[in-house]
Amino acid sequence: MRASRWLLLLAALTVVMVVAVMLGTLRLTPVEVLQGILGTGTPIQVAVVRALRLPRVLLAALVGAGLGASGAALQGATRNGLAEPYLLGVSGGAAVGAVLAVALHAPAPVVPLAGFAGALAAVALTLLVARASGGRGDPRVVLMAGVVVGAFANATIMVALSNVDASVVRGALWWMMGSVADAGWPQARLLAVYVAIGIGALLLLGRAIDVLALGEETAAGMGVDVVRVSLAVYVAGALLAAGTVAAAGLVGFVGLLVPHLVRIAGARTHREIIGAASIAGAALVVAADLVARVATPPAELPLGAVTAIIGVPFFLARLRRLA
Amino acid sequence: MRFAPFIRRARAAAVVAALAAPLCAPVAGCHGDGPVGRSAAVDDFGDTVVVAVRPTRIVSLNPTTTELLYAIGAGGRLVGRTTYDAWPVEVRSVPDLGPGLRPNVEAVIAARPDLVILYASEDNRDAARRLRAAGIRTASYRVDRIADFVRVTTALGRLSGDSAAARATIDSVSATLARVRAATASLPRPSVVWPLWESPLLTVGGGSYLDELLEIAGARNVYRELPQPSPAVSLEDLVRRDPDVILASPRSRARMLADPRWRTVRAVREGRVLTFDTTIVNGPSARIGASAQALARLFHPGAVQ
Repeated sequence: MRASRWLLLLAALTVVMVVAVMLGTLRLTPVEVLQGILGTGTPIQVAVVRALRLPRVLLAALVGAGLGASGAALQGATRNGLAEPYLLGVSGGAAVGAVLAVALHAPAPVVPLAGFAGALAAVALTLLVARASGGRGDPRVVLMAGVVVGAFANATIMVALSNVDASVVRGALWWMMGSVADAGWPQARLLAVYVAIGIGALLLLGRAIDVLALGEETAAGMGVDVVRVSLAVYVAGALLAAGTVAAAGLVGFVGLLVPHLVRIAGARTHREIIGAASIAGAALVVAADLVARVATPPAELPLGAVTAIIGVPFFLARLRRLA
Repeated sequence: MRFAPFIRRARAAAVVAALAAPLCAPVAGCHGDGPVGRSAAVDDFGDTVVVAVRPTRIVSLNPTTTELLYAIGAGGRLVGRTTYDAWPVEVRSVPDLGPGLRPNVEAVIAARPDLVILYASEDNRDAARRLRAAGIRTASYRVDRIADFVRVTTALGRLSGDSAAARATIDSVSATLARVRAATASLPRPSVVWPLWESPLLTVGGGSYLDELLEIAGARNVYRELPQPSPAVSLEDLVRRDPDVILASPRSRARMLADPRWRTVRAVREGRVLTFDTTIVNGPSARIGASAQALARLFHPGAVQ
């Protein structure tokens, strides 16, 4: 990808993030944002900028970066343009964990942890099912195992929600639709470290994914341990997605869409694709969260729905190119 | 035909009840009461319910109507309740027939009731139809606002044959509400936010009877203009509206005071989070008088006995 494209991507992310800190139920000018950051504005401005908007925008960016990178790596390793970060049971497992936590009236901060635990359990289950079926690194077997685990998770959720109070259903559903409304500095800091490690690992695997993309036999002929590399990408990609799920619930479509967009923009090697998808994913989720916040004040829209609504036209454009 | 005059009268009574209901609702002193044995009422689905014999086995699938039945002295005849009923404590010994919406009709019939009270939501329309088809007297009521309390308590009194007790309950609650309203009328009104759920943040809106209770207790709900009973709002919007006071359960209060995000709200930062026992209020039952009193004592200490 050309340097000018990289600059454009970074500029887009920066602009979106600045605008996202400015807009909301309380409109701020760039100067007021700066005063808020420096602590010289009115108490309400300082509080909104420092404690609510900055961590929120940052968290949205990290979630987008994680999902974009994870989707890019998984599409490469499975050689499947429909692959996405939630594929290996991440979304289903996370939803089961979160729904059970909500149904058992766990305090709000426990819900994301339960979601994370559920995601990890489901990923482990998917890989075990794939292994038991004799297709450890085989993308087709792994994808199908993910579908099975996802279906099982869905059934579990239906059972769990069939006999609970309406408020529990509403809370669980809200979590499943994704949101960064509860963002705070501790989550943002934690996710920053987590996402940095995850994206770093995927970037390191980038070269190997390039070779995998040539086909299993060619890759094996070039000395790549196909099973080990595939497994490493699945695990790293799924863990990265699970981390974003813990922070923001299920934010759909980003991981599926963004890798396609950056390939259109000219990214070719998987290091490029993963890197560019991180930046584009961050920009997309920050923009979607901005829409979610300002579209229907004082209520907010579910982030996952907004990312899909924004993303669908891009995806249609991509389909036209493929056809 | 032997039954024709009865049917005609029943129809006439139904029409009168339907016409009277909206006029009656907000006025506590208005109690139409037909003679038990030869009368009918219309429920909130528009179905006619015969006011015949005094029921001896009642199923109530709405915690609020259950509370109202206890308040008018019909609680001892309950043979079924929802999973969520918790007040009064005796209700826990009544058989649990599941969540009140989309009830298991077989389980309700198995309780052999001669009167079933449902919440009048679309979810329950089918159950009401099938219970009627099974020959069980079924009445469905929406109980969402303080006016509904008056209206539904009157109706339940007629159906259960406890009209005098229903009237006494309404009078007593209305008198308490009027007293609290009068005591706080001339006092400055603190602006209040009353969150009901943390994630997503849901708060009391203008469509809730809790908003009415806040008004009576001498406070001003900053989300009064939102028509829903429990609208979702953003924390940022709450910061901007800058309420004088936040209402919370003791557990939520501790969490709010420790949460840096909630501390962006001035009322939280300055410690003006008042605790209110939220279990008191699951619907506009006969306890709304006591609830209004308790709220008024929070907002205006010393103004209400």
